[in-house]
Amino acid sequence: MSKEAKKPFRQSMAEWRQFVYNPNSGEFLGRTAKSWGLIFLFYLVFYGFLAALFTFTMWVMLQTLSSDIPKYRDRISSPGLMISPKPDSALEFSFNRSDAQSYAEYVSTLRKFLESYDDSKQSQNINCTPGRIFDQNDVAVKKACRFNLSELGQCSGKEDKTFGYSKGTPCVLVKMNRIIGLKPEGEPHIQCASKEEGRVEINYFPPEGLIDLMYFPYYGKSLHAHYLQPLVAVQLAINSNSTKEEIAIECKILGSPNLKNEDDRDKFLGRIAFKVQMTE
Amino acid sequence: MPRAAPRPLGGICRREGAEGGRQPGLSRSRGCPGSSRAGLRSGERGSTTDRARTAPALLPAPAGAAAGSAGHRAAPARSSRWLSPGLGGGSRRPFVLRPGRGERASLRGGAASRVRGARPSPGGGPGRRRACAAASLRPPPGSSRQPGRGRGSAGPGWPGSFGSALGRSRPHGPGGAGEGLPADLHSNAKTLFLLQKKSDVYSVEIYGTKDIEKTEMGDKEEKYKDLKGNKKKKKTEDLKKELDLDDHQLSPSDLEKKYGTNISKGLSSARAAEILARDGPNALTPPKATPEIIKFLKQMVGGFSILLWIGAVCSWISFGIQFAQGAESPFDNLYLGVVLALVVILTGIFAYYQEAKSTNIMASFSKMIPQQALVIRDAEKKELPADKLVVGDIVEIKGGDRIPADIRLISAQGCKVDNSSLTGESEPQSRSCDFTHENPLETKNIAFYSTTCVEGTATGIVINTGDRTIIGRIASLASRVGNEKTPIAIEIEHFVYLVAGVAVSIGVLFFIISISLRYKILDSIIFLIGIIVANVPEGLLATVTVSLSLTAKRMAKKNCLVKNLEAVETLGSTSIICSDKTGTLTQNRMTVAHLWFDNQIYSADTSEDQTTQPFDQSSPSWTALSKIVTLCNRAEFAPGQENLPIMKRVVVGDASETALLKFAEVILGDVMNIRARNKKVAEIPFNSTNKFQLSIHETEDTNDKRFLLVMKGAPERILERCSTIMINGKEEPLDSEKAEAFQTAYMELGGMGERVLGFCHLYLPENEFPDTYPFDTDSMNFPTSNLCFVGLLSMIDPPRSTVPDAVSKCRSAGIKVIMVTGDHPITAKAIAKSVGIISATSETVEDIAKRLNIPVEQVNRREATAAVVNGMELKDMSSQQLDEILCNHSEIVFARTSPQQKLIIVEGCQRQGAVVAVTGDGVNDSPALKKADIGIAMGIAGSDAAKNAADMVLLDDNFASIVTGVEEGRLIFDNLKKTIAYTLTKNIAELCPFLIYIIASIPLPIGTITILFIDLGTDIIPSVALAYEKAESDIMNRRPRNKRKDRLVNEQLAVYSYLHIGIMQSVGAFVTYFTVYAEQGFLPSTLLGVRIKWEDSNINDFEDSYGQEWTKYQRLYLQWTGYTAFFVSITIQQVADLIIRKTRRNSIFQQGLFRNKVIWVGIFSQIGIALILTYGLGHVTALNFTPLRFQYWFVAVPFAVLIWVYDEVRKLFIRRYPGSWWDKNMYY
Repeated sequence: MSKEAKKPFRQSMAEWRQFVYNPNSGEFLGRTAKSWGLIFLFYLVFYGFLAALFTFTMWVMLQTLSSDIPKYRDRISSPGLMISPKPDSALEFSFNRSDAQSYAEYVSTLRKFLESYDDSKQSQNINCTPGRIFDQNDVAVKKACRFNLSELGQCSGKEDKTFGYSKGTPCVLVKMNRIIGLKPEGEPHIQCASKEEGRVEINYFPPEGLIDLMYFPYYGKSLHAHYLQPLVAVQLAINSNSTKEEIAIECKILGSPNLKNEDDRDKFLGRIAFKVQMTE
Repeated sequence: MPRAAPRPLGGICRREGAEGGRQPGLSRSRGCPGSSRAGLRSGERGSTTDRARTAPALLPAPAGAAAGSAGHRAAPARSSRWLSPGLGGGSRRPFVLRPGRGERASLRGGAASRVRGARPSPGGGPGRRRACAAASLRPPPGSSRQPGRGRGSAGPGWPGSFGSALGRSRPHGPGGAGEGLPADLHSNAKTLFLLQKKSDVYSVEIYGTKDIEKTEMGDKEEKYKDLKGNKKKKKTEDLKKELDLDDHQLSPSDLEKKYGTNISKGLSSARAAEILARDGPNALTPPKATPEIIKFLKQMVGGFSILLWIGAVCSWISFGIQFAQGAESPFDNLYLGVVLALVVILTGIFAYYQEAKSTNIMASFSKMIPQQALVIRDAEKKELPADKLVVGDIVEIKGGDRIPADIRLISAQGCKVDNSSLTGESEPQSRSCDFTHENPLETKNIAFYSTTCVEGTATGIVINTGDRTIIGRIASLASRVGNEKTPIAIEIEHFVYLVAGVAVSIGVLFFIISISLRYKILDSIIFLIGIIVANVPEGLLATVTVSLSLTAKRMAKKNCLVKNLEAVETLGSTSIICSDKTGTLTQNRMTVAHLWFDNQIYSADTSEDQTTQPFDQSSPSWTALSKIVTLCNRAEFAPGQENLPIMKRVVVGDASETALLKFAEVILGDVMNIRARNKKVAEIPFNSTNKFQLSIHETEDTNDKRFLLVMKGAPERILERCSTIMINGKEEPLDSEKAEAFQTAYMELGGMGERVLGFCHLYLPENEFPDTYPFDTDSMNFPTSNLCFVGLLSMIDPPRSTVPDAVSKCRSAGIKVIMVTGDHPITAKAIAKSVGIISATSETVEDIAKRLNIPVEQVNRREATAAVVNGMELKDMSSQQLDEILCNHSEIVFARTSPQQKLIIVEGCQRQGAVVAVTGDGVNDSPALKKADIGIAMGIAGSDAAKNAADMVLLDDNFASIVTGVEEGRLIFDNLKKTIAYTLTKNIAELCPFLIYIIASIPLPIGTITILFIDLGTDIIPSVALAYEKAESDIMNRRPRNKRKDRLVNEQLAVYSYLHIGIMQSVGAFVTYFTVYAEQGFLPSTLLGVRIKWEDSNINDFEDSYGQEWTKYQRLYLQWTGYTAFFVSITIQQVADLIIRKTRRNSIFQQGLFRNKVIWVGIFSQIGIALILTYGLGHVTALNFTPLRFQYWFVAVPFAVLIWVYDEVRKLFIRRYPGSWWDKNMYY
């Protein structure tokens, strides 16, 4: 039996070797060098052509695009909300108010985020008329409106370098996604609420979480290079008896009919939910 | 009782086991092929037509010869001698049932002047050589001594071995006898294997006798006894017991006693019910089928299913992990797994349903009209369904009935039975209540189940019912022959391996790549699923099935009913057709072909639908001849067919008379009227002693009071009785010159293989034979000599008019047509010549010898292209000799062959590597039908057994239909190639996104679910539509497919589909993808490397190229839009792919863009389904489709056009430069 089984194996090995290199015909993997050369050449030409074609069509396609605004903006008709700092994992803040190390990352993120809002960086920005859409369609060079850090009050990081984290009143910045051409209607403002009553007291900077219309519309990265999106700082004054507990907070944008905040599928469209857990 | 058959020659068995891998599934692995396949399957009576074949269907081994316990099978065939009767001899029938003992070789089956019988072959136990397989059912030693009742002093009552003796007649067997291994068994293991394989498959052996040598073998056998499965032993044992039949030897009163019945009153109903409960119904147990659930499960795991199951399981695993990790949307993977499982289950159900459907077709063949039997019970005659019969019942049968069970006759009046379904012997056998032979198969007082009573009546006692009847035993032993895989099954398997290999290797490769790119294991698993799903053409196997069944339907319309779907293609790869003559190549009815009168031969029209005869009918001799033809004929039209064409009318009478009657009717008109006008006054019917038929008539001429004596018969006998001959209406003396002319004509007609009849007449003088003369046919008081010879008529079963054309088609298609017939070589050769199987210019060795006037031995055999091989020569041939004949002659006719030899021929052809199609109709043909790559049964003349064994049934029995089938088979092979090429192409376009996604970390271009929508949605109808494509060129002008070289899916096909068109499609689809993203704000540069952030559901301010920020869901929706765009692009390019796949070589414009309308149905369905998915179901989140901007449908159009142009260029170069590098690498 074993004898019989071995033979075909040896034979197949020989056949395999023959296939890999056949000294008689000079075939390597079933083809002669010339044949391989032709194959190689063919695919070089063929794929070279395809690559060129791809590049060309992509180039043509890109030529049809404007560098200022995307061709279509229908996929983002309404902005999402986002917070800063954003914890690494899920949107869950967890820190010990007496341990600076535990919130150092939040603080540094905030500081970094607010760098561009520094007065020194806003020298070119102009003061716009509050409460009015700042339309600049006719202007070639779009101006950016100034956003004063002082509007963030206690959350500006000027007075409290720890943005309240050391005091048990952590600040979270809520921002609305930039969308080119978006003009909010009404009086958009951010409102946050905790599901658990009485555990936290929420303060807004600017007051009532107002987002001023003068920051709209946005004209896109290339035209509106210095644009700063308006921020709302939410200060959470956590009750001392609610420490160690997880507090779920949801912020929504309200007061504007064209900013959605109730989408079934998109949990971040005009709203954001996060959790805070503070220990002492 | 004897127990099982041990293997006497263990060594062989083992060898066989080792080498027998070719037919897995057979019982080979259990050692000796115990699975004795019966040559005979249960069957109905066979063809009523000319089953002129020597058919030792049941070939009991001569006890002496067969004694070698190991070799029963070999023995009979080897030792038998069938000598052909002389030319013109009445019966061409072989002996069919050989008695148990050589010495007792009784001749059976007509008047054959045939010497048969057992000639013990040299070496004692002749059979021993073929040992192993033969031994399958052999009783073991020691136990083999049965207390046989019927055996007694007479020796074996039942044939020593009851086997079909198939294929064993090769003299080629090793010579050394004895129990040891014959020397050349070792040296020639391969041959042996072949022999064993065949014997394993076809032998049926039932041992009922004590074999002399068995005793000697005893000890030896003992050793192997335990090697055998016990079950088989039991069965053998049972069979043996029952075969111990002695009922034919008992007197009626003993029988009454034995069966507790009463010949006049029958059984009581109560007793009958009791026995029925004990024995079960009188019906054959259908062959054990694979349980439905197993069949179903097989479909579930076969083919690609296993890959998809892996995909599904991976999905569930990743769901489990994600769920445990509390990820946000773990259910996606759960759904994906469910969808994949559903896909597998649904395609499995579909395949199962298809298979069940084709099985049902098969089942319908075996369904017979419930048979009734006339039974005496409770002293009353009752009509009962035949399956209610029990042993001991008294049944009455009459002409036309099918015998409802094995019956011992107790009274009979002129009873004749047609045993052809059992034995292949077509001459009806007379039956009486006398015990004439110890062998139950030989004795006249037993009628067998499933045979037909042709005439007369009889009463008998039921002695065996159901599976215990002779035919039942054969059937129950005839477990299914493990058919070898059909070529298309092999091709599809090859293809599945290929694709699965690609899928698995790419999957594993990228699994490793993604791990080394530091993707998480979970992600890598998800990639793996995507790659598998993208690679597997989920819908393809279903498509192939549908295409095949469409072709099967088309073929059914052309009279080829295909039972096994895969046989559709097998027919296309056929390289040799072994065809029957009678009924297949010929019309299966005697027809007058030539006439000779006035010293001249006239040809008659032999076509199927003749209405007139063109030959010169002005001579008065013809008038005289026509009168004889009309009057000296007992055949009559069955009443009530006046409106039918003459050729279609049913006639009561034998074949020659029928031919003459129809011939006369065509020329003269109302024959019955002519006969009425010429009243018959006396008649002597034909008998084999006189060899003439005579009748005396009044003439219709009222003035002529003479009687007319007309006579017809064997020409030489007729001539003997004549003294004058009619030339141009005048009687002239029959001198030697005229007699010479007669001889010449007779020889010429006979040489054409025609049956010649002579005709003469005499007007009896009025004075000697007045009106009132009392003619007495016994004393023959009238002259029967010195008559006037009028002419000769010769008849033949003429070829069907469509056959010569079909044969020449076969020839140009490179298919060799071999005629295998039981007929006489001369007739066979004549028909072969007239249909072109032997072409006009080719000669046989004998022809050359005759032409050159040299002895046959001196002829250079290579010069002869044609060969007519006699069954007897064949019998003495070794397989090498047969191979030589099959190789060296392109035109071969096998004459006087038995169905067993047909099997040998088939095997010989298969040894040449040919794909063999075989036609057959009798029960005995079933082994050959099974063995053949494609067995073709005759729908009209075929027995059920043949139909069961066959893969295809020819509804019109016409050879030309086979050729049509071949054409369809070739077409479907080409079209399947196209279908597969079409289907494989888009797999690359589905796969590339995954690969790029992994490597370049772009947002996923196409989702797994979307891929499934392509594979099982848009692509299904178009790929089926390719099955309707017309052939590119005349597919009947090329050689048959070489099954080793011409694969369904070859390297070129895979490479061209995957690496050329597939890549082009991918490029086109990617352009669309990038366009969609860019126009929404994500320029290609932004997309590279974003995967992790893009898919992070916590990042909801993802910035695009223009500074806008996107939430996760907004991105996801965009991603789905990307899926949709990618999907649409693939669909659009698949339209181009579909169009280019219409041809492989010709330009689309040569083929005609609109000729195949179904392709357009496919294109519109494809686009329609895509539209529905995109716009109709675009809001169903789970499907991942979104409504798409209309212009994105056109992004890929230039690429689609490019694909078309590229393929046209490819085809142009292929046509322009055949054999070039381009042709070799680009033609699939």
